[in-house]
This record gives sequence, C-alpha cells and structure tokens, in this order.
Amino acid sequence: MQTFNNADAGAIVLSMAERIVENRAYLSEIDGKIGDGDHGVNMAKGFGMAAERLAGKNLSLAQSLDTLGTVLMTEIGGSMGPLYGVMFTEFAEKIDGAEAIDSAAFSTMLHAGLEGIQSIGSAKVGDKTLLDTLVPAVEAFDAAIADGKTFAEALDALVAAAEKGRDSTIDLVAKIGRASRLGERSLGVLDAGATSCAIILKELSLGAAQRLQ
Amino acid sequence: MAPKTSTAGKTGQSASAPPEAADVIPLRYGDDPYVWACWLYYEDGRTQSEIAEIMGISRATVNSYLADARSRGIVNISLEPSRLSSITIAQELKRHFHLQDCYVVPNDEGKEPLIDRLGKAGAQALAKLIKSGDTLTIAWGRTTLAIAENLAMSNLQDVTVVQATGGTRASFSYTPEQCAFTLANAIGAKLITITAPAIVSSSTVRAALLDEALIGDQFAALSQSNKAIFGVSSLRPNSTIHTSGFFESVSIQDYLSKGAVGVVAGRFIDAMGQPVSGPLDGRIIGLSLDKLRSIGMRIAVAGGFDKVPAILAALRGAYVNVLITDAATGQGILNAEGVAVPDPRQRGRGDTGAAPNNFRTQIKKFLNNPDNVVEELLQGILKAHGNYLAPINGSSRALVARNGPRDGKVGLVIGGGTGHEPCFVGYVGKGLADAVAVGNIFSSPPPAPILDCTRAASGGKGVLYVYGNYAGDVMNFEMAAEMAAEDEEIEVRTVLTTDDIASSSLEDREGRRGVAGNFFVFKIAGAACDRGLSLDECEAVTRKANARTFTIGVALEPCSLPQTRRHNFEIGPDEMEIGMGIHGERGVSRDRMMTADEVTDRIMDRIFAEMNAVSGDRVAVLVNSFGATPLMELYILFRRVEQRLAAKNIHIEANWIGHYCTSLDMAGASISILHLDAELNDLLHHPCDTAFLRVG
Amino acid sequence: MSHEAARRICRMFQRISVDIDAEKDRLSDLDGAIGDADHGITMSLGFAAVTSALGRLDPEATPSDLFKAAASAFLDAVGASTGPLYATAFRRAAQAVRSHEALSVSAQAEIVEAMTMGIRERGKGQRGDKTMLDAWIPAAEAAAEARERGEEASVMWANIVAAAEAGAKATRSMVAARGRAARLGERSLGHVDPGAASTVIILRAMRETLVA
Repeated sequence: MQTFNNADAGAIVLSMAERIVENRAYLSEIDGKIGDGDHGVNMAKGFGMAAERLAGKNLSLAQSLDTLGTVLMTEIGGSMGPLYGVMFTEFAEKIDGAEAIDSAAFSTMLHAGLEGIQSIGSAKVGDKTLLDTLVPAVEAFDAAIADGKTFAEALDALVAAAEKGRDSTIDLVAKIGRASRLGERSLGVLDAGATSCAIILKELSLGAAQRLQ
Repeated sequence: MAPKTSTAGKTGQSASAPPEAADVIPLRYGDDPYVWACWLYYEDGRTQSEIAEIMGISRATVNSYLADARSRGIVNISLEPSRLSSITIAQELKRHFHLQDCYVVPNDEGKEPLIDRLGKAGAQALAKLIKSGDTLTIAWGRTTLAIAENLAMSNLQDVTVVQATGGTRASFSYTPEQCAFTLANAIGAKLITITAPAIVSSSTVRAALLDEALIGDQFAALSQSNKAIFGVSSLRPNSTIHTSGFFESVSIQDYLSKGAVGVVAGRFIDAMGQPVSGPLDGRIIGLSLDKLRSIGMRIAVAGGFDKVPAILAALRGAYVNVLITDAATGQGILNAEGVAVPDPRQRGRGDTGAAPNNFRTQIKKFLNNPDNVVEELLQGILKAHGNYLAPINGSSRALVARNGPRDGKVGLVIGGGTGHEPCFVGYVGKGLADAVAVGNIFSSPPPAPILDCTRAASGGKGVLYVYGNYAGDVMNFEMAAEMAAEDEEIEVRTVLTTDDIASSSLEDREGRRGVAGNFFVFKIAGAACDRGLSLDECEAVTRKANARTFTIGVALEPCSLPQTRRHNFEIGPDEMEIGMGIHGERGVSRDRMMTADEVTDRIMDRIFAEMNAVSGDRVAVLVNSFGATPLMELYILFRRVEQRLAAKNIHIEANWIGHYCTSLDMAGASISILHLDAELNDLLHHPCDTAFLRVG
Repeated sequence: MSHEAARRICRMFQRISVDIDAEKDRLSDLDGAIGDADHGITMSLGFAAVTSALGRLDPEATPSDLFKAAASAFLDAVGASTGPLYATAFRRAAQAVRSHEALSVSAQAEIVEAMTMGIRERGKGQRGDKTMLDAWIPAAEAAAEARERGEEASVMWANIVAAAEAGAKATRSMVAARGRAARLGERSLGHVDPGAASTVIILRAMRETLVA
C-alpha cells in the first residue's frame, strides 16, 4: 500500500507558498474583475509569512499545515483568512501524530478541511467560490480509491477534478460576497478563491505523489 | 407641419394664423394675438367677453387662444413649489391610508413653530368640518389645545364638546379639562367634562366610578360623539408623554418594553396600531380605542418627525380618517411606509433641463491611500509639532504633551475623532491638555489609547476627561475611565462639552453636542489643572466654562470623507443650514442663503437669548471655519459679531478667528461666545503653549 | 466537553467574520443611506480582528476565555460606538458562560440575553431608537422564552433569528434617536438600520454554528 511519510513532507507547504507568491499578481487580477482585487496580495502575504516561519525548521506536514492555518487565520482577515485557516488547521489536526499517511488518512484529512470550511461559510457548490474546486476534487479522489485505483492515480484524479472545477467557475454566477452584487456580470471570469484552491490542491497532491513509497 | 405645433404668431404666413385676427395688434405684443389675449386675461384680469371686444374677435376664439396658449407653453400656470408638494403628499397619504381627507401644511423653513402652524391649520380644518348638531370629543395635548386656541366659530347650534378622558393631577397647560373647555368656548358649544381621574389606582375603583350616575351620563354623552379630535403622542425620550407626568414613568417603560410606539387618546398602541396591554389596563377612564374607531369622523392633528412612527401606527390602526400634519412629517410617514411620492416638478412637461446637483461624483483630495489617512496625518503632525507632542508607548493614537504632565497636578485628557484639526491634537501642551487620544475620522478612539493617555497624564491627583458629547465618545471614554479606576486606581472625572445650542432645546441642555466651543472649555480646564487646583475644583470650573460657552454653526456646503470622497449630505444650491454640527448633524433649519450680517444676526440673536449678558459683561469670541471657508469671510462675520456685542456694551476680552475646530472640507463657520466671569477671565489669560494656541 | 464547546465558539466567530465580510458592501450601502457608509467595513474589521485573536489563543482556552479575547480584539480594532457595544456584549457573554462552559441550549440562550444586556447597558438605548437593539432585544426575548419553555436548540434559534429579522425590518419605519444616524432625523426613515441588519447576520451565523 502506498503511503508517504508525515515527517518528511513539511516542505510541501513551502512549495505551496512558493506557488501562491508566484501567482500573486495573477490572483489579484482575476479578483479585480469581480471582487476587491486583493486576493493575490492577501494570500501571498499569509503564505509568505507562513513560509518565513517554517523555513529551515524541517517540520512535519502536520506541523507545517498547522502553522500555515494559524498564520492565515491571524494575519489575512477578510473571508479567505478564516476559510483557508480552518481548512489547514483541520488538515493538520487529522494527520497529527500519524507517521505514514495512506490514501484513507489523506481522504479523512481532505474531508475534515472541507467540513471546516462548510461549517463557517454559507456557500454551496455552484456559488462560484473555492468550493467549486474543493468539492469535486475530494469526490474524485474518493471515487478513484473506491474504483481500486492507487494512491498516486487518485492524486492525479484529484488534481484533474480540481482544475476542471476551477474552470467551471467561468460559467457560474457569483452568489456570495462582493461579486454577487454583479449578478450576471460575474459570468465569464474565474473565481479567485477557486483558482487559489486549485493551486493549493495541485501542490499538495504533487508533493504527496513525489514522496510516495 | 401640423398647425397646432407651429410657432405661434406668424400671422398671415401659415395655417396657424388665427382666423379672426384683429387688424391692429398693439406694438408691445409683437404680432402675436395669443400673447395679447393672455395678457388681457391673466395680467389685466379681463373677462373673455371683454377680451373678445377689445381684440375684435369672437368669444369662442378668445377661449381657444387661451387654451392653445397653455398647451403651447406660452402661459405656464405654476403653484408655489412648497404648496404643490404639500398637496402631492396629502393626496398620497389620503390614497394610501384610505383617509376621508388630509391636509398637509407646507414647510415654512422654520419661521413659525410647528405647533402654531398645526394649531392654525387644524382650526381652519375644524371650521369646515364641525357642523351644527355635532357631538365632538376632544383628547388632551399641546396640539389639540393649540387648535382650540386658534378656533373661533359663532354660527353653530346644538354642538356638544365632550372631554375624551378623565382629568389629571399633573400640572401642565394642556390638561384634558383645559382642551375641552377651550374648544367648547371657541365654538359656543355645550361642555361635558369627565369628572373622574383619567387614571385611577385600580380597576375596582374604576368600576365604582363608572357606576356613579353622573359619570355614567358623561360616558353616555361620550358614546354619542360623531366626531373626534385628538393628537398623536410619540414615546420617544423627550416627548411630552414623558415630561407631562400624565402617566407614571414606570408604566411608560413597561409599555415601551412591550413594543408601544405611540399614544392615541390616552391609549398605548404598537407599530401596527394594535392596543398594547400593560399596568394601566383597567385603570384608565376615558374613550377606549374601540369606541374611538367607531366614531364617524376621527381627526388627528400631529406633526414633527419624531412622531412619525406613532402617527404611522395610528394610521395603520385606522384610528384616524382625517389627518392634519406638515409636509416634512407627511413625507416621513410615506418614506417609512415605503410609498414613493411622485415629484411634482417631474410631472407634466417634464425635464426642465437642470443639471443634476451632484454630477461630480468624486471630490478631489490630496491622498495617498485613503485607508492610511489618519496614520499619515499623525506622522505629519508628529514631525511638525514634535516639540509639543510625543507618542505614548510608540503609538501615534495616544499622544502626550512633552512639557505637560507633572506630579501633583490634575491631568487633562482630551480626544475624539480626526477630521476636526487642529482639534484635538493642536491643544496639547503646557498649560492646556496633557494628553490626547486620537480616533479614526469622525469616530471616537477606542478605550486602549484613552487609557494610555490617562496613565501618561496622571500626576497622582486624578485625571479630568473633557470631550464632546457624542454617543461613541461617551462609551469609549467611560470604558477607559472604568479601566483606569479598576486597574490603575486613577480617579477620573468627566466633563462633556455641550456648547452647540442649536443641537437641542434649553431643557435638554445635557443632550447637546460639543463643537467648536471645545476650544474655550479645554483652555479653561487646562489653566485650572496647570494652576494646581484640586480635581473637584478643576471639574467645577470646567463645568462652568461649558455652561457659559455658546456655539452655533452654519453650513454652506457639505464635507466629504476621504474613504468615500462623496458628499456626506446635500445642501441645495441656494440653501444653508443653521445649526449644523461638525459631522454634518442636522441643524435647526434649512434656509435660503442670506447675507453675512443676516446670518450673524440669526446666530447672535439665539446666543443672546441664552446667555443673559448685561451691559459691561466680558466675553471671549471664536469665529471658526469648518474647513473650506476662508479667513476673509470669517472676518466679515466677526465684524458683525463685534457690532452686535458693542451695541449691548459687551466687551470682547479676547478673540480668535480661523480654523480651530473643522469638519474636513465643509464650507461654513461657527460662532462661539464664552461668557466670562472673574474666575474664567483669569483662567483664560493663564499662559499656555501648544501647537495651535499660545497665551502669555 | 469544554474543548468541543470552545471549538464551536471559535467556529461561531469565524462564521460571523466570513458572513459579515460577504455582506460588507450591502451593510455599507445601508449605512450610506443613513450614516457614514462604513458600517460594513467597521464590522468586517472588527470580526477579522476577533478571528485573528482567537487564532492566537491557547488551544486550552474555554468559551468564556474566547468571548473575553473577542471583546478586547473587537474593541481595539473598532472604537467608534460599535466597538464598546460589542465589546461589552462579549464580556457579558463571557460571564454568562463561565458557569456552564458546555454550551447547553439554555447557555446559548443566556449568551444571546447577556449580549443584549451588555449592549443595552453600554448604549443606554431602548427599543424604537432605530439601532441594533431593535434586533437584539426581540432576539433576547425569544431566547428567554425558549429557555423557559425548554425548547430544543433548533426551535429556539429559529425563533431568535425570526425575531431579530422582524425587529430589523421594523427599523425601516423608525426615526434614529441615537448615534450618528440621529443627525438625519426624518431623513433616516425608510431605511433599515445597518446595525440591526448586521445583528441579523451575526445571529444567523450563531445559529449555524451553535445548533449541534
């Protein structure tokens, strides 16, 4: 059975932060079309600060995710701070103490993060939010495992579904937050949260896949 | 081209020429018979037949000339706009609430008290509505008494006036007995009073009283009423229902907590007009709400925007089918009910081509990031005035005077929102305030910086807080004072400044706002603290300074916040608002623009009425710009202030003219007078040294 | 038990923060009609500060610690009048839950009642002033009634939210007596008070996170 080692996987969070910081301008640009235009700046600020705290410490994935969650919760405000903050602290809590993470533990982790987000946000799939990325991604991972696919194959399925979910937001009308005031005019544009969520899930999956034993 | 739409007056050139034009049209009318006909009709007041004769045409032609002249716009018939809008509001009220009739008194821009205007209007209406043979029940109230006092009818027969409720022990002029008596007298009616108290101690007493034959007869007369006249009372804190003493105040609180919003004929109703039960149930002697509703004509006279919720409730409960109110209140009722009133000016011929009054949506300002305005302001202030001010614990939101606090001296802490510069930071230094807490724009500082200031200012003899009377400031400073007492064992006393005499009536002096007169109150408080007076003494003299400081402001143009860069309120192109507060709070009245002297006189008349100065008294004068008004205009105002004071032989001991307490970029000015006595005069001259005020 | 309760309180504040943030523009628009157009921004800043402060807190914190921390964070971030009002509300809530940290249904009712009491004491206002109290007072009454009748959580919260919604709606026909909007007098008529509108958002978020 494929697993990856919790203790060796902390660097995944650093590469996640790297991708988010790289995409700062892109995320803000997408957000600017229908929102505040500060998504990239805020996310880069939070992930950047977390990366600074983690650099050189060689922490486990659980510890790194916990730091990331706390930093996002305490530093970036708005709605993204608490939403991603809860997601990462839930991730961390579920794999805390586990030495090796198998597909079942990974799925439990994903579900806890999703439930965390759903407990503090009122959005549903189809409202043009990060849930349009996260929900199909988690479902695709579970479905692949149920079909007897390997952990690695299931991670591929997760990334593909996340990106498909992200792209689906182009055709959605925003129901939540500032963009919802635009109504039909929010059509034709990606949702910034869905986009950052796809980046995060892709880095998480790639990092896990590389470390599979 | 259709004849009807061709230009009037091309005689003999087109089909539009009047068929029977007279041979000679007087020169002054050009060659236009329409104008001639109209002139004769509207200006000279001739009849149509006279005009036909003068013009040498038939009467039918004259008639069609006059009609055409209106449809072509040669003649415009216009109603004075305020009357027109009051008629529109009345029609809307009548339609929406299914009233028999409604009269709306036009706005008069505050020339005459509302109660008098309603009294006169109500009297006029009653003169039309009361008929011989009527039995009229009248409730008590200031408005109903005003109506009775304005009414005189001598041609009625067999009219009976019945008092709607029992009597009261409370001593006010508009008692139930007085209202009924005055009305009966004014129309020569037979008077039936209710010879029992309006409120009795228990339902048993009530039952016993109603069993008495005399009172039974009186109630029988009451139930014969075919018309009722009454006011509607609000339950808001300053309304007469509280001040009259008619109801026990405990009972009023009880009804309020159950959702009562108003009182009709001595009975409490909720927002939907339903009766509210409470401690007075079964103890009231008077017309019941059900009885009221069974009376054929129910005339309510009430106005004042604070009464809107109560009047709305009375309308919703159908206690009223004839309403007399004023335009502002009527408009308010419709707004509250969500009914749009068609703008009469938009009717008929449509757009007059006037530009929208706020076509520019963003005000220009010197800004970097609007969110950093306060930080950048404070950075600038600390650089410019670092010799006076220093941050406490590195925070620019709490600043201490470099040369201020010392042991054995009462500390003076002031503070408030930004946007009023040089208030408050400009008055921190030796001999004035020891520390200042700085909030966001127009917004109180939180308790933490106030507490920092308190610690920094404390010299072991207690700390005095002086700040403007605003809900937010009061809450934050109170919390800071509680923390100072509990955690630091520093005794804090507070004097709220309430110098804006336009913001509330004299009876509600404690509810007034603090505005530019802060300047004088701070000065006196600072001097008292610097002299080493005790906390008690400092507090007492500061209270006295506040009680003897009188300010009225006038706004000409609105201000705009850096974050929104939109006007905070709107003032019409030829309007000004007397009594406007320093955040744009509503004033006493919107008026047509006046000359500088007229404005000054309006302000000074009001100040004189309150300050009771006599010949030989001394005052200090502050003429303060709200931000955009230049010194040039301030001096023009001061010139007149001096003339008015000199005419009363009041001596100006000291004067300040300039920007002392601003409201961002508002155009306008305020005049503050500190009425000195020997002690205040002495403290006024006590030396102080701050960035914006130096004495001695 | 107390740990689970603390988690729910954290979630509650996080949800309030997210929901207020989502409605920030609408709240500011309401405020623009009758105030300084900053109510949405102020509330969103205040609750962001609360979430942030709670994120820093020791994981062993009790519900009453959380309410206390929320009070200080909100107050320092906001000032104005909203700051002291909600800070006092959270302090009263901290006192109310001190003796039953497990957040039983009746404790939840007491939180709503205590918050309302705090706002009333600090603001010295009453019903009908067109303020947040016009939503909080009916909500607290609904909470007290449900507590006395021993209703289950979902029923109680449905009543609380419905009462607050009706109260907020009723502010349309009120004239502002307190706070900044009071300067508008009758011009404040016809608009829902933004403070009452944000109260409804808060209570809904509380319902979503506290009903187990």
